[in-house]
Amino acid sequence: MSTSQKHASIVVSDLVKVYDPSPRWMSFLVRSNLKHSVTAVSGISFEVEPGEICVVLGPNGAGKTTTFRVLVGLTTPTSGSATVMGYNADKEALSVRKMVGWMPADQRALLMRHSVNENLRFHGQLQGMERDEMDRAIDETLELVGLDGWGTSTCFALSTGMKARLQLARALLHRPSVLILDEPTGAVDPVASHELVQLIREIVSERQIAALISSHRLEEIETLHSRVLLLDEGRVRYDGDLNALREKYAGPRLTIEFRTTASAAEAGLALKTAGVGVITHLGATGIVCELNPDITHSNVLRVLQDQTEDIVSLQESETPLHAILANVYKDKQGGQE
Amino acid sequence: MTTDIGARRISPGWRKTAGAFLRVDVIEEINYPLTLVMQLLGIIVPLIPFFFISELVGNSRTTGGDYFTFTVIGLALTAALTGAMSGFGSSLQRAFQRGTMEVFLVEPVPWTILPLAMNQWTLMFGGLSGLLIFGVGWLMGATFVVSGIPVAILIAVLGIISSTAIGICSAAILLLTLKSAPLIRLYSLAASLLAGSIFSVSQLPDWARYISYALPHTYVINATRTALMDDPGTFEMSTTTAIIALSIFNVVFLAGGFYMFRKALELSRKMGTLGGY
Repeated sequence: MSTSQKHASIVVSDLVKVYDPSPRWMSFLVRSNLKHSVTAVSGISFEVEPGEICVVLGPNGAGKTTTFRVLVGLTTPTSGSATVMGYNADKEALSVRKMVGWMPADQRALLMRHSVNENLRFHGQLQGMERDEMDRAIDETLELVGLDGWGTSTCFALSTGMKARLQLARALLHRPSVLILDEPTGAVDPVASHELVQLIREIVSERQIAALISSHRLEEIETLHSRVLLLDEGRVRYDGDLNALREKYAGPRLTIEFRTTASAAEAGLALKTAGVGVITHLGATGIVCELNPDITHSNVLRVLQDQTEDIVSLQESETPLHAILANVYKDKQGGQE
Repeated sequence: MTTDIGARRISPGWRKTAGAFLRVDVIEEINYPLTLVMQLLGIIVPLIPFFFISELVGNSRTTGGDYFTFTVIGLALTAALTGAMSGFGSSLQRAFQRGTMEVFLVEPVPWTILPLAMNQWTLMFGGLSGLLIFGVGWLMGATFVVSGIPVAILIAVLGIISSTAIGICSAAILLLTLKSAPLIRLYSLAASLLAGSIFSVSQLPDWARYISYALPHTYVINATRTALMDDPGTFEMSTTTAIIALSIFNVVFLAGGFYMFRKALELSRKMGTLGGY
């Protein structure tokens, strides 16, 4: 066990996963569309400490789910390693699975014809929990996720948000040291999603769990105030906190509102000619400029010095996260941070 | 909320794993009572036409002069053996299609336990079906030699183990293809044609009879007839031969089944298809 492994709950080192086409003899059994090897994960490394939430972001095919599946032993790494609580996810998968609370993206992963209690009981039994311990844990966990009183309800009758909470309850029941949540709010409405994310944040902090969460919802990432791991084409594009990401990939934005459409258009043209990035025209009379160390407020105002009388308002705002992420993905040469 | 529940516990072991899967399957089945009743009816009703056919064919020498008892034994054992053989594969396929397989695999249970744990309900239902056919058959006039029952039970148990092992081999293929069970289909086809469940193996052409010796079903069905019927007909299978043959089948098929399953798991993990559908 290395020094870092003593502290970090999850350690992924130079992980590579290449999916090869099925062996030729298998074509008698099943036809595969995979004709060439595909690299899903290409040498990624990261660690997650106890009590830390690491949100894994990336477009479809970035390698998020493959990384998660390697961590719970569902697939083997081609090279590199992944350890959970010091156990090798490939060679000691059984020990790893005792430590991990897993929430797959697929909500069908619940036993739909069974009650909430039965779903948790099944998981508790397979986790080796004793009956008394399990009964107590079921009550506590249902209360924790806000499903107390729903224990005897059949799973298929629950709302999508409640099913997500039940999946979270199942992941938490055996008091894992590590949570791996694959798009936990995928099909949940925005309000329920916000509540679920807050709940995860509180639980992780209180129980000092290391949590790895994949998500496509940018507002959730901002709510979590967590570390962000940006994956793209199987590589880490960025690993750090959101503020540092903003500093590196996004300057503030300046929103300028003009009196008339004509003056806004004229200003937009003047700024573009002067090399200022005009991101958007807000309606007919507003424009948004992206600032950076080379292009400051003063530069913008200097370009617009002949139009100052036409300016109604001037407001500085933060760059939206989706724009920052787009910048990161554009910066293919950036490599791992 | 803060009660300390130890996260470091030992693996659940066979008893808890088996109990958990059986409980889930039983709850699932009793959720559909009409389906369960119809399944049971579907097992019993085929006895009726065979009852009338036996009246029609009378005392054929090939079936020992009691075609109804001959058929009851064949149908009862086929039901039990089919249950043992198909249970794991059908549970596995259902779990793939419903999306629960991934969750099963992420539990801290050795994957090699799954073939047995997930097969329990179908195995029990198959056994129950066999007993039901024997019981209803007896009520309808089938006669059995009571002293042969212990040997018949031993042969049936050995046959069920063989069938389970064949089911595991088939499930290994299912694990890779994620759909259908070609091996079980092939075996079931061969067994229905060649094992002599509703006619005597002695009626088969020589070449087909040789193939029938490669099927555990043939030994189970025909040796049970030897044990339970005064006259098992023209194809009399010695119970001792059957016990030896089935024991050999069990060693070979169980070892082969678990080896194939383990290899299929390894390949499936490598290909990244495990748990998905």
